Amino acid sequence: MDRVVNDFTINIATANGTGSQSANLILLQTLYDMGIPVSGKNLFPSNISGLPTWYIVRVSDRGYQAPGDKTHIQVLVNPATWDEDLAVLEPGSVVIWNTDSKMEMNRTDVVSYPVPMTKIARGLNPKLARMIANVVYVGVIAELIGIDQNVLEGSIAKQFGGKAKAIELNSEAARLGRSYCAEELTISDPYTLEAREKKEGGFFVEGNDAVALGSVFGGVQLLSWYPITPSSSLAEGVIEWLPRLRTHEGKATYAVIQAEDELAAAGMIIGAGWAGARGMTATSGPGISLMQEFIGLAYFAEIPCVFWDVNRVGPSTGLPTRTQQGDLTMLYEGSHGDTQHIVFIPGTVEECFEFGWRIFDASERYQTPVFGLSDLDLGMNRWSCHGFKYPDQPMDRGKVLLTKEQMDSIENYGRYRDVDGDGIPYRTLPGSGLDPILYRGTGHDEDGTYSEKPDVYYKLMQRLKRKIENARDDLPAPIMRDEVEEDIGIVFYGSLENSIVEIDDILEEITGKKVSTCRVRALPLHSEVQGFVERHNTVIILEINRDAQLYGIMRKEFPNHLLNKMHSVAYSDGMPPRASLYAERIMDVLKEVGF
Amino acid sequence: MSEKPVKVIKLNVINEPKDSYTGGKSSLCPGCGHDQVSSVIVNAAWENGVEPHRIAKMSGIGCSSKTPAYYLGQSHGFNTVHGRMPSVTTGANVVNKDLTYLGVSGDGDSASIGIGQLIHAIRRNVNMVYIIENNGVYGLTKGQYSATADIGSKKKKGTTNETQPIDLCALAVNLGCSFVARSFSGSKKQLTAIIRAAISHKGFALIDVISPCVTFNNNDESLRSYGYVKDNQAELHSVGYIPHFSPLEQVEVPAGSYRDITLHDGSTMRLETISAEHDISDPVAALAALHKADTEKKHVMGLLYFDGDKPALDDDLDLHDTPIVEMGEDLLRPSVAQLDDVIAVLRG
Repeated sequence: MDRVVNDFTINIATANGTGSQSANLILLQTLYDMGIPVSGKNLFPSNISGLPTWYIVRVSDRGYQAPGDKTHIQVLVNPATWDEDLAVLEPGSVVIWNTDSKMEMNRTDVVSYPVPMTKIARGLNPKLARMIANVVYVGVIAELIGIDQNVLEGSIAKQFGGKAKAIELNSEAARLGRSYCAEELTISDPYTLEAREKKEGGFFVEGNDAVALGSVFGGVQLLSWYPITPSSSLAEGVIEWLPRLRTHEGKATYAVIQAEDELAAAGMIIGAGWAGARGMTATSGPGISLMQEFIGLAYFAEIPCVFWDVNRVGPSTGLPTRTQQGDLTMLYEGSHGDTQHIVFIPGTVEECFEFGWRIFDASERYQTPVFGLSDLDLGMNRWSCHGFKYPDQPMDRGKVLLTKEQMDSIENYGRYRDVDGDGIPYRTLPGSGLDPILYRGTGHDEDGTYSEKPDVYYKLMQRLKRKIENARDDLPAPIMRDEVEEDIGIVFYGSLENSIVEIDDILEEITGKKVSTCRVRALPLHSEVQGFVERHNTVIILEINRDAQLYGIMRKEFPNHLLNKMHSVAYSDGMPPRASLYAERIMDVLKEVGF
Repeated sequence: MSEKPVKVIKLNVINEPKDSYTGGKSSLCPGCGHDQVSSVIVNAAWENGVEPHRIAKMSGIGCSSKTPAYYLGQSHGFNTVHGRMPSVTTGANVVNKDLTYLGVSGDGDSASIGIGQLIHAIRRNVNMVYIIENNGVYGLTKGQYSATADIGSKKKKGTTNETQPIDLCALAVNLGCSFVARSFSGSKKQLTAIIRAAISHKGFALIDVISPCVTFNNNDESLRSYGYVKDNQAELHSVGYIPHFSPLEQVEVPAGSYRDITLHDGSTMRLETISAEHDISDPVAALAALHKADTEKKHVMGLLYFDGDKPALDDDLDLHDTPIVEMGEDLLRPSVAQLDDVIAVLRG
């Protein structure tokens, strides 16, 4: 039997609230510390305790981070999904199963490793048996695929941060799992690990925590938020880091308010922006839906404020704990009437940090609400990170007049007068004593006075359009990888970054061609995105939604001669994107256009 | 040759004429109660000697919410969206705690669409004055009942209101609001004293002002018409205000019994007993007074409830003395070394 080294997927089926998440994170961290490229996906229910949860660990020397197409090693602990999990396994898969679950192993074509996980755990500590049983399966896996016990115990120590009793108990559970595997099981599977050289300085971090840190380094002055999955950990990250990083003489240089709802959260950050401070909120699609009216106010009255949307599956309450790119259009054109908003779209945890601070600069420079679009996959899973780069430019506070001299230097000042011809007016702040106005969401002239005059309204809307249009090439440029053929190009965004290499490889294998890629990182679209489309013969716009939202934006904004070469592949089922599934759909389109 | 008469311009304690506190021309109906409130706001701010540019005038949507354009032309303001002025003010307040926040709302804005935000602003004790210009009807949409319309009251058009009203003062008392008063747009002296005291108070000051709608709800069958309110007031006490810059000992002592309340900025609110003393520190007494007036179809007037010791939101947040909005990059962006520390923590 040929050994399969560093190329397999482990699926662990448990119930939530049983402590399995800690065990799974220990496994993930251990693999990472062995220098093995690994990714973990937590598929959890919208529930506190008792419903099915799966954790998928993908080990891939090629660096593939998408969940694998199939499971190679299945851990079965949860009776509720037992039969279902078992049924989908391919012949020859490994099944590590808890014999204390009172469930049958009814497949004879798999490699079966029965383990009395609960019994082993009970022998160690009867009270905590249910939780420790999870670490027993980690021990079994460790022995099976060849994880070094010292590295494993290192990550157990990390997970239980200094709690000696917990560390000892869990280490012992892992050891017992190991010895059970070594002494009682006859090993007949090919899956094995080889340690690789660990990249110096790397660490695991969730996208939400990276955005949180970026926000703190971006000088957030007010965080107002309302709890919602999957963005709560973003706000809680900000709340955790602020006291450590942002006090002065023992006092806060920031304010945090947990609002009564998303409307109030939006109102508060608009109030902060109006007053001259950097306000942000973190929410998900349902929250953005609730904030629509305020988004229009901030756009029309030109108030800086920052919204992070950690996208979950819509519409409505949807699948609250699953991932999607379904909010793009809503962010770009949020609120009634004609609007257009700047959207930052990170695809990696490094970018989560970078855009976390950069987004405030854009919002204050353009005096407009700006959105960050992340998603559950990027936000709530742990990703390998190469480090965060300290902001390479000072904070851009935009055109704010702070002194009388500055005010006097401007000829014919008006809050909404386009003095510089770039669509961005100057502003004064409340309390400054400089040229006050009554801000409003109603129509207004260049001085901010109420007006219903046709030409005043028309000119105002044209200026707002120009202001946002001008931002295009000032926003993060797309990351492009052009192949010499310039034949097929894929335009995509966000967390699809983590599947694109594998998708590419699959496509190359099938078509024999190398495929170019262009990852969009902001809206409105950078001019280089159009350039990418222009120089490729066939362009696929790939996204995790049903309605081809980016494709729709490109069709609306790009010139007619480009429309025929653009094709949409939009697919969403709630799962993090599996490479083969998206590649297959891309192939369908390529076949249709004659490849 | 006759001398021209010299026009004497009266200045306030910071040497500002009243003109510094006035605003644009009102577009409300002639005789609207809201215009009376606007003129009282101008007087109160001027008499208190607040620097006009240190006031922030906030509002939502509705007839009342248009009024910030008619007073305090030297103050920044924000005419926000319907029922959401409390959240916008909360956000502004915590980043710039040193401004005087003066919110004006209506009964539609506060008792219906915005009641949630009002409740939570009270709960947080946001340091602001919150004036409700309460007339029982929606004006801009042409006279529908609001949620404060009294049972048995009939507006100019339509049927008698039979739906239980929401009493915003009772609501505020129940929520532990630190300053709850009711007044009448026609009682200029009382309203001025109450607004002046509210400006001096640290915390959420709710002032429910009955402000008749001359167009849709000023008929004889209405319990919120000028005539009815004027004749059916249940005054808790007469209210006086003595600013901190005008020493108490120089103020004439009233003949009857009275109670002085020291406000946050050192000013004094003097409540003179009319018949029996109303205990402003007792929420049950406040609710009893509201209930009694209600059963008698009267409107309570005066300071219903007061708690000068309740910490305001900006106290709770442990903020630095310097308003957050005035801080620069040196305080807002952590250092390179701090980022290194963070990364060390993440590496574990």
